[in-house]
Amino acid sequence: MRLYSASSEETLRARQLLTDWANEGFLTKEQYQRLEQETVSELRTTNIFLRLVLFFFTLVTVGAAVALFFVGSGPSEQTIGVFLLIFAVVCYAAAEYSVFQAGLYRYGIEEALVVCSVGFLCAGIQFAFFSDSPYSPKLESLVPAVGAVLSLWIWRRFGLWYAFLAAMIFVAFLPGYWTSSHSAQHLIVAGFYAAGLVCVAAVRSRHRFDYLDDAYSLVEAFLWLGIYLAVNLQLSSFKLPTQWWSGPRAASEFARPFYWTTWVLIWCLPPIVLARGVRKKDRFVIAVGAIVAVLTFVSNKPYLGWVRHTWDPIILGILLTGVAVFIRRWLDAGSSGIRHGFTAERLSGKDKRWMDAGSAVFGLLTPQSMTPAPQTGTKHFRFGGGASGGGGATGDF
Amino acid sequence: MTILARLDRWKEQGAISADQHTHLAGLSRREPFSIFLELNLLLYAGVVAFVVGLGWTVTTWSRQLGDIVVLTVLSGILGACSWYCFSRAPAWSPTETPASSPIFDYVLYLGSLVWCVELAYLENRFHVLSGQWDLYLLLSAGLFFFLAYRFDNRFVLSLALSSLAGWFGLTISRWPSHQDAEYRRYALLYCLLVGVGGTVLERRGLKPHFFGTYLNVVANLLFWAVLSGVFDRQGYGLWFFALLIACGASLAWGLTRRQFAFVAYAAVYGYVGASWMLIRGVNDLTAVLSYFAITAIVMLVVLIQIARRFGRPE
Repeated sequence: MRLYSASSEETLRARQLLTDWANEGFLTKEQYQRLEQETVSELRTTNIFLRLVLFFFTLVTVGAAVALFFVGSGPSEQTIGVFLLIFAVVCYAAAEYSVFQAGLYRYGIEEALVVCSVGFLCAGIQFAFFSDSPYSPKLESLVPAVGAVLSLWIWRRFGLWYAFLAAMIFVAFLPGYWTSSHSAQHLIVAGFYAAGLVCVAAVRSRHRFDYLDDAYSLVEAFLWLGIYLAVNLQLSSFKLPTQWWSGPRAASEFARPFYWTTWVLIWCLPPIVLARGVRKKDRFVIAVGAIVAVLTFVSNKPYLGWVRHTWDPIILGILLTGVAVFIRRWLDAGSSGIRHGFTAERLSGKDKRWMDAGSAVFGLLTPQSMTPAPQTGTKHFRFGGGASGGGGATGDF
Repeated sequence: MTILARLDRWKEQGAISADQHTHLAGLSRREPFSIFLELNLLLYAGVVAFVVGLGWTVTTWSRQLGDIVVLTVLSGILGACSWYCFSRAPAWSPTETPASSPIFDYVLYLGSLVWCVELAYLENRFHVLSGQWDLYLLLSAGLFFFLAYRFDNRFVLSLALSSLAGWFGLTISRWPSHQDAEYRRYALLYCLLVGVGGTVLERRGLKPHFFGTYLNVVANLLFWAVLSGVFDRQGYGLWFFALLIACGASLAWGLTRRQFAFVAYAAVYGYVGASWMLIRGVNDLTAVLSYFAITAIVMLVVLIQIARRFGRPE
């Protein structure tokens, strides 16, 4: 099913690890040069920047060519749909061909082609079959269903992690076509993700420490996050910003047992995810465990209908910092800085590169929210304004 | 063949020693498993959440709390952070210096952000500089540059660069008839100042590892400024010429230094600018789409050649 042979991908992975180890000084230059020759792969790869630019220009090429096809002719929507289906097939075939012929691997071009094929297929089905017929939600659910199936296929075939994410997003739209009950929609989405999680957990045990381990780890992390978001009724809404601005989602929108069951679940899930991540030493699952734990703290007050306080973020900040310092000290106190197979020391050059890039980017972003906004010349300006502050505060000096 | 099997083979062949085999096999099996990155992210998120809450609380409750309490708390945090950093800092070195403790960088970052909050409070409450926000930003930028170089901290260097950019921006926004052209000129002046400053510091061997941050900030701002000139209704020819020079320089730098972000900047910014010049005023949709279809293919061919010749994975 997979487009690339296991040996090719395993060789690529070995080459990346060799480079990392050589950069860290675990291998001498001579050793690296000798071993590098044993990890030559026939797959053609490139770095992330060229990959992104190639992806962008492939999208422009395909988009312009397809638009050019329809310009001036003024075909009916059904005809457009049929042609879009043909373009979807052409794009997909071109992606497969580029891999077979040129051995492209995460090269941007084949990725943009498969992305286009998913887009054209969904748009094609919508135009070809549903443009002239009366609205039938059950039938039209075919569009996201087909999108999800093709995205899953692309994930399996090309190994593109974001294709799995796309499949999850398509699945999230499905229940909206089937039922108007919000509770049922949440349950169906969570059910789909849970089924996916069971399948992934069963399959990935066979791939521990091989080239597919990271891919399955990421997918499992996405599924845990998806389940959490589907269960957390205060988060899983497209109207989230408006909702939180105007007030939390009311419990009355859902049946009371359902609402409070989900509240219990959002407290149960983080420790379960974290425990699984720690037990499997799985970076992505641990990260999702930490994210959902923070989300639980953030969404707990809206869940309970309690008033938010301005000092809530201070408490969260102290908690996060305290946890980080405690874990660090606890690990450092172990023999050679290791406890239960975990260390707080940096072992990979990749971590340093991520840290360097992250600190430069985050440092540039955060001042926008921290530094004072430019003031107008009015003499009557007053600091703050805290109309939204709790406890009757006016926020004026 | 998995990496573990390869390591076994390399050990049998004598390509790696038994110790290396043990160490590398352990790393491959995630034994030990490093949570270095996760702990750093947790610390960063903690500091940001804390300062957001602090700013929000001060803004909302300052009347009830009173100036003395607010300033005492903010100054207390600032003083504690300063004391920690200056008392724990390793001796200064012009080269890259590791932090003396895992939380050192974040304490410094916290102090820098609290400085911003306190400064905002002081000015809004007491109008010390009569609303001259640009001077505050300039003062903050100077302080942050000093701290970044003293303590070797990229977070604070980025704060310094954005504060300096804010100073340039605010200075212009005060002018009654500020226009895009003025912003553009000041953006270019900022690029020149930061670019030359970064280069001089790098040449003098002062924290040369900061140079990449300078260069990326300057490159992106420069391209935005020049592109905005290309999009102008009048006098865009000179800006287009400047864009071509900037693209050439970025491409040459990216290829010679193997820093492919600059190749990407040259390709995307250059394509956007050149496309705007060529299809400006063209109303025929077929011609426009044909242009994009053909030129994007040309760009693909050129980029594939670059990728084949230079662009190995990093």
